[in-house]
Amino acid sequence: MVDLLEIEAVSASYGRIQALSDVSLKLQEGAIVALLGGNGAGKTTTLNTISRLVPVTSGVIRFDGRAIERLPSHEVVRAGVSQAPEGREVFKDMSVRENLDLGAHVRRDRAGVRADLDKALDYFPALKERLRQKAGTLSGGEQQMLLIARALMARPRLLLLDEPSLGLSPLLVQKIFAIIARLHADGLSILLVEQNVAVALAVSSYAYILENGEIALEGRSEALRNDEAVKRTYLGG
Amino acid sequence: MTLSLFILFLEQGVASGLVMGSVYALLALAIVIIFKTSEAPNFAQGDMMMGAAYVALYLLVFRKAPPIVAIPLTIVVAFVVAALFRGLVLAKVAKSSGSPVNLVIATLGFSYVLRGLVRGAGVGDTPRTFPPLASTDSIMIDQASVTILDLVIFGAAILTMAGFFWMFAYTKLGRAMRAVGMNPKAAQLVGVNIGRIHMLVWGLSGVISAIAALLISPKILMTADMGSIVTLGFAAAIIGGFNSLPGAVVGGFVIGVSENLVGLFISSRAIVVAPFVAIMLVLIVRPQGLFGGRTSIKKV
Repeated sequence: MVDLLEIEAVSASYGRIQALSDVSLKLQEGAIVALLGGNGAGKTTTLNTISRLVPVTSGVIRFDGRAIERLPSHEVVRAGVSQAPEGREVFKDMSVRENLDLGAHVRRDRAGVRADLDKALDYFPALKERLRQKAGTLSGGEQQMLLIARALMARPRLLLLDEPSLGLSPLLVQKIFAIIARLHADGLSILLVEQNVAVALAVSSYAYILENGEIALEGRSEALRNDEAVKRTYLGG
Repeated sequence: MTLSLFILFLEQGVASGLVMGSVYALLALAIVIIFKTSEAPNFAQGDMMMGAAYVALYLLVFRKAPPIVAIPLTIVVAFVVAALFRGLVLAKVAKSSGSPVNLVIATLGFSYVLRGLVRGAGVGDTPRTFPPLASTDSIMIDQASVTILDLVIFGAAILTMAGFFWMFAYTKLGRAMRAVGMNPKAAQLVGVNIGRIHMLVWGLSGVISAIAALLISPKILMTADMGSIVTLGFAAAIIGGFNSLPGAVVGGFVIGVSENLVGLFISSRAIVVAPFVAIMLVLIVRPQGLFGGRTSIKKV
């Protein structure tokens, strides 16, 4: 299988603070790969180096064989990498519909966008009744769904998902992960950042664990689930 | 004061006020769209207007170009100069420091450059009069007397604002501009080319300033310092809440009308303080401005 995403020895820093050092990871087309670790380990930073919000100081990021670590952020979206950021990064004073339309900002195929809007609403029926509502008035869970739906509107080949379960009730977490499984079944490649290690290892095929900006551990998710050290540190037993 | 005189003054004040107010509203719009997308007030706005007025004057008077050529050309020049300033200068300042203070200082620098250019080019050394683009014959609206030029100014300003609001609300470009103002990070994540949007916002602001310049110049004496009229645009923006586009328009009309009413009912010497009294009154009653939203707390 071909590597859709290949990160090779990437380092990044915020001013003088080193955020990532020599991070390498791979993701094959159609796979869900999990990126795990504690707060401040560099998970979100890794996603943001791919989305080109955080500049890399060294290393290479390849998407579908093409180096993207120097592209402007909009070119990365155009190339087929779309991020659903964590938390409240919706356009809060715009309607849900406008948020979704903005998700398709880089596209010109109107008919395709229409079809994908229907598809996104099919994945997230809760948004359907709220299309005219301002995004800022949605609940936390609905905003999370809107962020994923917005990212899907770009028709990405690779979806970067940042903490989709953050701050959600167990029931909603289940719901969101059922949708992630569906997206995977439909052939989408996903790089998943999660704090909820148990759920992430269940849905992914391969996982990396970041500590202090470095890859501390990697392996098949199945194997990591039974790894004693992982169990102790991340699975609470 | 008799009742009929009161009504006459009132009608005249409102009519003249709406005409001037429509130009202040344009200037306020030009200020607010930049502020909303770059979080820094543009202190070169007045001199962008002044520069455009002199470009038009040069074309119309010195080169004897017909208005049908001179007006579009002025607008294009204003667009290009403003967009390039953002793309070549401000983008670098924003990238290297990102602090709003540095952006503001860069706009101040731009304003001095523009004034220096106009003075140095030899057109701005003596006060000049701008040829009116419409007849200055008076007509009566009920008891108020306005000129044809006044009606053209008002109509053109309203049309410009309507076109602008339509673009902002309903086009893909307008939506992207709003997105950048609302959440620049999210805008980048959906693939908006932020640098390009900033340039277009500045260009658009230049265009609105140029239209304001074409409308107001026949009514005032042209000097290289005429950009100071934009103070009233800032006043209008403040009254409207500084980050609200409809607020900027309403603020413009409030300033224009209050100026004229004060001039008629109190004293023409009190005109200059009227806008500032209006600002104070509004800010006492509504500190966030007429249309200002809640002040947002920024995440670090």
